[in-house]
Amino acid sequence: MKTSIPRQLICLLLPLAVLAGCASSVPAQKAQFTPYQQVQGARQIRVLKSTEIVLDTAYKRLIPENSTWKLSGTLPQGDVYRAEKTIFTIEGRQVHEAYLVLSGNSLVGFYLPGESNFSPLSPPLTLNFESVKHD
Amino acid sequence: MIKSFSLIGSVVLTAALMTGCASGPKYAEVAKSIPTLQADQGRVYFFRSASMFGAAIQPDIRLNNEVVGTSQPGGFFYLDRPAGQYVAATSTETEKTLSFVLDAGETKYVRTSPSFGVIAGRMVPTLETPEAAQKELPELSYTGKPAAAAAK
Repeated sequence: MKTSIPRQLICLLLPLAVLAGCASSVPAQKAQFTPYQQVQGARQIRVLKSTEIVLDTAYKRLIPENSTWKLSGTLPQGDVYRAEKTIFTIEGRQVHEAYLVLSGNSLVGFYLPGESNFSPLSPPLTLNFESVKHD
Repeated sequence: MIKSFSLIGSVVLTAALMTGCASGPKYAEVAKSIPTLQADQGRVYFFRSASMFGAAIQPDIRLNNEVVGTSQPGGFFYLDRPAGQYVAATSTETEKTLSFVLDAGETKYVRTSPSFGVIAGRMVPTLETPEAAQKELPELSYTGKPAAAAAK
């Protein structure tokens, strides 16, 4: 009985440690972001099917159905879309505001505007969306 | 063992009750005196729900390494800052930061909520949607500087 208490404690503390302080950092590399200059008429997309993303850090994020995203700029990796009327973040050891980076219909990663970094998504995900506004 | 847990529980509960919730004026009273944003600035609201969970943890909140306020249960404050990149953090055992960009004319809402680590508690800052934040703000008390001093 006495020996089972430390084991129980370990079982309790280990997941806490993983959840609390030991999450890995979001992978990030310096981004060459070119902002979209036109203020009005920027391309917008609407997500047609809710998509769950499992990050390398094991945190999950949901891109909701019918959420709209506005073209904000470009990266060598793809076009950058910012959430409209809501916020989107990715999380690891830290929390980062994030924009979607799309190459064709593939979500290839995230632009982190608070630090000018690109965080790749591995493997990329197919995102089901439609274009709702063009220049 | 059970006695130890009871003792720890009592200490935590007492500490929580002693520290208590924020006690400033409610959002409705402060809202009238919140100035219009200047053209080159954005606004950041920091807020925390009135839950007693983790109430004893009331760390400083830092924005780009500057202490700008305290995370108190049931409290909120706001800051006007030039458009740019920001990192919000709290001073607790392990630090979880939040990076975000603030545009001119934009308002962002940062929620701080307690989470428990291995040794002690910590406060996690996260971005909240305007919709959810605006629902919660009327129940909260202002813990910042007088409205005129919040702009920088």
